[in-house]
Amino acid sequence: MNILVCLKQILDPEVPARDFRVDSARREAERGSANLVTNIFCENALETALQLRERAGGAKITVLSYGPPSAEDSLRKALAMKADAAALVTNGTDATNPDPLAVARVLAAAARRLGPFDLVMTGREAGDWGAGQTGGLLAEELGLPCVSFVDSVEAKDGKLRLKRQTDAGWEVVEAAPPVVVTVTNDEHNVPRIPKVRDVMMSYRQPLTTWAAADLVADAGESYYEVAELFIPQREARCEFVAGDTLDEKVEAFARRVVEITRAL
Amino acid sequence: MDTAEATRQIYWNVSHVWVMYALALAAAVVAGRGLYAHLSRWRRGRPLARFDRPAERVKLLLKHAVAQRRTARDSYAGLFHQFISYGFVVLTIATTVVALDADFGTTIMRGRFYLYFQSFAVDLFGALVIVGVLMAAARRYIKRPRKLVHTDEAALVLAAVLLMCVQGFLVEGWRIAATGDPWAGWSPFGNLVARASRGLMSAETMRAAHAFAWWFHLVTSLAFLAWLPYTKLMHVLTAPLNIYTANLAPLGASLKTIDFEKEEPFGVNSLGGFTWKDLLDLDACTECGRCTAVCPAHAVGKELSPRDIILQLRDLMHERPREAFGLVAAGGRAALTPADEEPTVGVEARKPLPVIGTLPATSPEPLWQCTTCAACMEACPVFIEQMPKIVDMRRHLVMEEAEFPDSMQEAVMSLERRGHPFSGTQATRMDWADGLNVKQVADARDAEVLLWVGCGGALIERNQRVTRATAQLLEQAGVRFAVMGREEKCSGDPARRIGNEFLFEQLARENVAKLNRYEVKKVVTACPHCFNTFRNEYPQFGGAFEVYHHSEFLARLVEEGRIKPLAASDKKITFHDPCYLGRQNGVYDAPRRLVQISSRADAVEMPRAREGSFCCGGGGGMSFVEEPPDKRVNQERAREALATGADVLAVGCPFCMTMMEDGVNARKGERDVRVLDVSELLWEASRPREDATP
Amino acid sequence: MSEVVICLFAAPGYDKAAQGLAGAGRRLADELGARLRAVVLGAGGEALAAELARAADAVTLADQAELAGYQPEDYLAALTQLCGGPETRAVLLANDTYSQELAPRLAHRLEGSAVGDGVELRVEGGALRVVRQVYGGKAQAVIEPKRLPAVAWLRARSFAPARQREESCEVARASLDITPDARARVVERRSEAGGESRLEEARVIVSGGRGIGGPEGFETELKPLAELLGAQLAASRAACDAGWVPPTWQVGQTGKKVTPELYLAVAITGASQHMAGISEAKTIAAINTDPDAPIFKNSRFGIVEDYRKVVPVLREKLAALLRES
Repeated sequence: MNILVCLKQILDPEVPARDFRVDSARREAERGSANLVTNIFCENALETALQLRERAGGAKITVLSYGPPSAEDSLRKALAMKADAAALVTNGTDATNPDPLAVARVLAAAARRLGPFDLVMTGREAGDWGAGQTGGLLAEELGLPCVSFVDSVEAKDGKLRLKRQTDAGWEVVEAAPPVVVTVTNDEHNVPRIPKVRDVMMSYRQPLTTWAAADLVADAGESYYEVAELFIPQREARCEFVAGDTLDEKVEAFARRVVEITRAL
Repeated sequence: MDTAEATRQIYWNVSHVWVMYALALAAAVVAGRGLYAHLSRWRRGRPLARFDRPAERVKLLLKHAVAQRRTARDSYAGLFHQFISYGFVVLTIATTVVALDADFGTTIMRGRFYLYFQSFAVDLFGALVIVGVLMAAARRYIKRPRKLVHTDEAALVLAAVLLMCVQGFLVEGWRIAATGDPWAGWSPFGNLVARASRGLMSAETMRAAHAFAWWFHLVTSLAFLAWLPYTKLMHVLTAPLNIYTANLAPLGASLKTIDFEKEEPFGVNSLGGFTWKDLLDLDACTECGRCTAVCPAHAVGKELSPRDIILQLRDLMHERPREAFGLVAAGGRAALTPADEEPTVGVEARKPLPVIGTLPATSPEPLWQCTTCAACMEACPVFIEQMPKIVDMRRHLVMEEAEFPDSMQEAVMSLERRGHPFSGTQATRMDWADGLNVKQVADARDAEVLLWVGCGGALIERNQRVTRATAQLLEQAGVRFAVMGREEKCSGDPARRIGNEFLFEQLARENVAKLNRYEVKKVVTACPHCFNTFRNEYPQFGGAFEVYHHSEFLARLVEEGRIKPLAASDKKITFHDPCYLGRQNGVYDAPRRLVQISSRADAVEMPRAREGSFCCGGGGGMSFVEEPPDKRVNQERAREALATGADVLAVGCPFCMTMMEDGVNARKGERDVRVLDVSELLWEASRPREDATP
Repeated sequence: MSEVVICLFAAPGYDKAAQGLAGAGRRLADELGARLRAVVLGAGGEALAAELARAADAVTLADQAELAGYQPEDYLAALTQLCGGPETRAVLLANDTYSQELAPRLAHRLEGSAVGDGVELRVEGGALRVVRQVYGGKAQAVIEPKRLPAVAWLRARSFAPARQREESCEVARASLDITPDARARVVERRSEAGGESRLEEARVIVSGGRGIGGPEGFETELKPLAELLGAQLAASRAACDAGWVPPTWQVGQTGKKVTPELYLAVAITGASQHMAGISEAKTIAAINTDPDAPIFKNSRFGIVEDYRKVVPVLREKLAALLRES
């Protein structure tokens, strides 16, 4: 079985709110002193793939990232986690928001070169822009079916049993490869920590590198555009509900609670 | 009688002396074989330089092998150990003197020397050995302390020593009685035997009994010597050697670095992965059990037992050396077994028996219970290094297997990504400085001191107040200081203690490079873990800084009159020694001075204080681990603190702060005790007051 | 005349999300001077269709046998046929998992552009723009789809519901050409028991700390409060460690990280380790006796009083307010 896992490198989502700044003119988050990390859902996808390989008794896992040159770190880490091969497509900029369709087209072109694949995996969304579209658009570009919010994959009789989360509970989708899935987290696909030895070895492994322009000649029309990016003003301090008596205070408190629950 | 002529006849009543030489030779062969086996096993360890600085080593040897200072910390055991050990030394010297006179024609055994030493002193010390053995037996079999291992060998050793000494007195007594020795009075105990025997036995019987007892004494003594290298008594040789080759650096500098370019595997999972000194450690162990008795994890009912780690590794080394060192395949002995225990050239390398998991004491659970407090090392009379072995094995689990507790994994991941171990925090490196005029090094190149805040001091809300107090005190004293701010990263201590040496090295190199770039010379920190890393570990990475714990620095500012604590409280305060400040670096007095300055009431000490202090439970990455509710080190310590009746539990470490607050809170209701850092106490006593009256 | 289409699934009925989606669609259509068409997929959609008929200008119900239950490929094919008209200006969906799954692919098939997780729709200079949270809620972005139709899935529950007209429009039954796609089929579907659903996904959480004082407080005070609010119960480490509640309830650095709209912290001090688990909560409200407790620093609103006095009154007040609405 051939598995492709797409990884996105993003600004550390845990950067504290007080340290988080945006450049409204460029409509980009400022890097500041924060680190770049692999998007967690992408790591969940890789972990799901690794577990599938262990259970199925073998598979080739290729990891692919489209992003700035620093995305190499995400791929190296994936190799340290024991992915078999890695490919990086760079776009020559540090921009984090190339539009989702453009991303899907580049990934699809790379997948065609690297493939064929039986299973193409992406994270359900990224912790930066959180568009949540890459998987679906990639499936369309590749002409494949797509199953979202998958948390575990089993191979059985030439088919894939995909367990995925829904609002009400869960479903099992049976799919004939090739198929695209987007992966969400659950307690079983927490990404493993690589062994230090493997981390060191990962830097000696080959890495296929392409420029996006070499894969997709015509970027096509723009899909969408970020018109504004800003940090919303937050209420900085706690409002202690007002009232002369306890009864009045609790009344005010209850009204605030209902305001919120009503919107749900 | 002329005392100058005083002596006795050697080999009186003994014939066929050559048999003695034959037996001695046999004993020497057996003992030699044992010693050689030891030596060749130790030599399978990795190299380590431990014969440098001989003057310091001799001093250490005098203090702890000769004066037995650590052994004597337990006064009863120390006493009987001195009786037995000094007794043996005296008896050995006496025997040597006899041998010299008999075989080399010297005439030492004469006159006053004969009377004072060879007769009186030897008699006295022989008796002391008997007293010592009886005391030891009484403790072992009547009091039965839990820390002791109850083996047949221990019983046999005591019985053998007792037997030899009693025989000695019988031989001497019968000789005195039968020869009518004029100097009998100089051998009081031998004389006692002589007098008692005269009434009971004829001269002829005594002669015969003497001859029998002489030979029997000789045979048992030689057998004892031959047997010695195969028992824990081997420590009479290994303990002094182990003390001589001890780590001369502070306990905080116990961990080894790894050369990632050359060494492999990383960490230790086989006997051969340890250094020769680690293997010598195993044979130096006297089974006294003090390490386990002081182990905080053990004290709260966890599996960890440093003693059992040492003993089980030792037994593995003695009982299955070929598998343990990878000379034969584990489990199989047939085809691949080399004829002897030496590695045969050309025999293919075999995988040594893994120690983690093979032995109960070194299975992963106990290894992940260690707080790296080093109480075990401080307690060990023969300077065995238990904690570094635990960290060595952790290194294997982390770097080769990536198998370690989830919550530690989260901390390590956060360290990799964000340079701090507190995954999920929303605090920033500078939140604590809100409203203060604190400069960052980049903007304050003229600063004389760098205040190294540490992750705990910056990112844990409670400790932000400690950092604030420290900064305000420095400001009050007019110290020109700066902080690293957002450029600061974890010192690497938790990574190192958890076992990720690779990550530690990265953080260390990065921090040292940054600090050197800013030409930092003097560093003050409120975190003993950072303090230890800076002081003992950064020098290996090119970081030579003058480092102070904030308690030291602040105490000096008070001394110089730059901080004026005018408003001491009346609170009764007890101080909890942070392991990495006290035991591991010897700083005990500075924080106590601050406590003393801050309150008019007398400070109280907990029963376990200073080098014998009991860990808060937070070291070695343990503060990131959920302990079972009924096995919490911090609660055990909180109980001890509350029992002192103090109003305030003073701490000097961000981890201690968290652990002790949790511990004290869990016992809320018993008594209301506040947990405060020493800098908070000092700030409370010296901060400017609006209500101050001139 | 251009058209705004809202797409709904039959199963949940005319719930808050459906009402919010209808409201969002209605207002957008009015602003654009367009028609609002509602599309309902799935068996048993008559009731929902009937409700929508009082808010939309046209309703299409697609409940043929092939569409009885959700199948991603078949539903996508159906929506492509239903939304594919040349007048379609915008297609709106809610943010349930099925909608999120389908929307980007639908946009691709319609050669439009999708934007997800919108909290607000704007029409600026004739262009539709979607406001959404980015960077884990730390920032907001206004996004303009460049291709038409614009396909947007919305946090529908936070949109005001549509005004229901007296009269209804017609409900048309679609008859689509659907060939079940064998490449991917849902073969098993399970609902998790209501009370045991996952804390991480709860929208309202009532959480208790050490100050609750014992298991009784959780049972007699917090549990009824949570039931009233349809909330999940959670606890701080101290309460779990004390054995008052199961460890699965623990929220914090060593427990669960939750993302509710409302986190009601009762008698929780708010140590940073606890806060680490709720940093993504939209609103935190606190009840605590100590005005200096760190929990208040992160709370939107709070009350300083013993929870034993507050919670019984709070339950009464909430019950009354919820009856009103």
